[in-house]
Amino acid sequence: MRILIIEDEPDLQRSLAQALREEGYAVDAASDGESGLFNAETIDYDAIVLDIMLPKLDGWEVLRRLRTKKKTPVLMLTARDAMPDRVKGLDTGADDYVIKPFDLPEIFARLRALIRRSVNLAAPHLEVGGVTIDTAARRVSRGGRPIDLTAREYALLEYLILRRGEVVTRTQLYEHLFDENDETMSNLLDVHVSNVRKKLGAELIATRRGQGYTIE
Amino acid sequence: MNLFHSIKWRLQIWHGLILVAVLASLGFTAYQLERNRQNRRLDDDLERLFPPLANAMHPPGDRPPPGEFPDEGPPPPRRAFHLNLPPNAAEWFAASDSNRYYYVIQSRDGHELARSTNAPAEGMFPPIPPTVSEGPNHRQPPPRMRTSGQVRELVHFLPPGDVIRVGCSTEWEARELTRTAWKLAGAGGVILLFGLAGGWWITARAIRPIHDISAAAVKISAGDFSQRIDMTEPESELGQITAVLNSTFARLESAFAEQRQFTSDAAHELRTPVSVMLTQTQTALQRERTAKEYRASLEACERAAQRMRRLITSLLELARLDAGQEHFRPAVCDLAEIVSDAVELVRPLAEPRRIKFHAKLAPSLVTVDAERFGRAVINLLTNAIQYNREDGEIWLTLETQNGLAILTVRDTGPGIAAEHLPHVFERFYRADPSRSDVTAHAGLGLAIAKSIVQANSGTIEAASSAGEGAAFTIRLPLCRD
Repeated sequence: MRILIIEDEPDLQRSLAQALREEGYAVDAASDGESGLFNAETIDYDAIVLDIMLPKLDGWEVLRRLRTKKKTPVLMLTARDAMPDRVKGLDTGADDYVIKPFDLPEIFARLRALIRRSVNLAAPHLEVGGVTIDTAARRVSRGGRPIDLTAREYALLEYLILRRGEVVTRTQLYEHLFDENDETMSNLLDVHVSNVRKKLGAELIATRRGQGYTIE
Repeated sequence: MNLFHSIKWRLQIWHGLILVAVLASLGFTAYQLERNRQNRRLDDDLERLFPPLANAMHPPGDRPPPGEFPDEGPPPPRRAFHLNLPPNAAEWFAASDSNRYYYVIQSRDGHELARSTNAPAEGMFPPIPPTVSEGPNHRQPPPRMRTSGQVRELVHFLPPGDVIRVGCSTEWEARELTRTAWKLAGAGGVILLFGLAGGWWITARAIRPIHDISAAAVKISAGDFSQRIDMTEPESELGQITAVLNSTFARLESAFAEQRQFTSDAAHELRTPVSVMLTQTQTALQRERTAKEYRASLEACERAAQRMRRLITSLLELARLDAGQEHFRPAVCDLAEIVSDAVELVRPLAEPRRIKFHAKLAPSLVTVDAERFGRAVINLLTNAIQYNREDGEIWLTLETQNGLAILTVRDTGPGIAAEHLPHVFERFYRADPSRSDVTAHAGLGLAIAKSIVQANSGTIEAASSAGEGAAFTIRLPLCRD
């Protein structure tokens, strides 16, 4: 899962990015509206965290312009909790909003819910071939036994399971699992896939030669 | 609402009472007039009936000539009484249900000489005293009307002392009078009802603007400051009150809006540093970190806390300035000294960006609170440093002109765009709404400077054309002596 943070306060941007990375997300960050909008338009993020008060282009404008092209889920960060501001945010096309100051667990939960809804999934629990995945707790178990996955491995599994039945290309996986700061070696993905197969059984992730991976 | 405390009800009660009094006196007068009219008519009737009776008693020839009453000696002897009524007169006194006239004739010694059949029994009126004892000097008393119960009669003393009483039952008149009284009461009642209804309507109309005013006031006291009272008649007394109230409400509304905006801005300014501290600490605490990571988190927290401290100091300063001038300690001092002290204080801020100060300060004695005023100057200087370019310059001039000390602070920064210029002294106003610089001030510095200058009875203004730097000018009245 790849997330874009558009936030101009450097300390906030840094710590939010770090926290999300530690949650297993690939995170890009932008410090002003213009570069944020550019990123949002060029890369298919799974969700965008958007501050309202931004230099160059404010959050409303970024959202308005983005919505003419994409429906990436957007979580707005607002320092104003006045009702008209929240309504304006939702009406402009935001999917959710959080009022500053916020708690990290709340941001995490809202992002998970946004991503889940964006792939038309209501419940946080999923089960495929004896493997249960709890997207809320980020835990995976097989036959009732908890399985330990790294953050990247979990992200890979969740991304595939949320698109169950679809063939997910390698490019797509690279785009959503790694951010700008990752040194993406071409075989890194294969390493993660084989690790997941080792832990959860070889038959769970099927390889479509020349196309990508899928979970049936 | 207690009825007796309501103006509407009190007006209505007074109006009702006055109406009742007027109607009652009118009714009473009408009743009296009617009764008098009846009595007069009866009296006329009785007067008309009396002569035939008198004549019948003393046929014309039998009467002593006028003016020849025997003044002395015993009265002439009584002749046998005989009443010779003309037929038409007799008819009047005939006993019948429809006939109500009667007569009674008494001799002077009190004997009853004649009476008509329908005359009421004696005892109804006090007996007429015999006139014999009064002697021959007795003068004929005038006919006298008297009423008892439902009978009115005329009493007439004849010269010899005989008494003729002609009477009439007033039963019918009494009934008529009662009917008239009821009619009057009914009419009065109807008029009273209409009067009360009209009074109610007029009072309600007169009071309605007060209701509107109080309804609006209630809403405003509940917090809806957008309320205004409808003004239908701006010229009337209530219209003038309404205008005054409306302008008061407008001032209240704008004062509250300002206050609300200020509070919301202040809260908003605090939210971002709090967010930084929360995310920093929550991230750091999620797992074990290296010393370097902890240090980075703590540094970020410190920056956020410093920012909050600056903000809180500024807010307190503003609150104190808003509260009034009781903390001000004005004294005569040289403004040039205050300014050069301020320059020394902010020089460390200017040096890293290699900004130079050029000061031309003429000594000017003014009466100000030196400490406070120094803060205003410092705020202007920090502003000039912050919005200056690297290697920029700050020009300070202080001169006296027309009894004013004029201090100008000019920088070589990008200047202030014309659309922002009118707002630079507003609280929390910043030309660029973002807060990309953590060290940036919250946009209170100039607002504080303005409050301080104004509290010291000075003025401050900003001038700039984009690209040519900004100039702030403070004008203070010079000390007289």
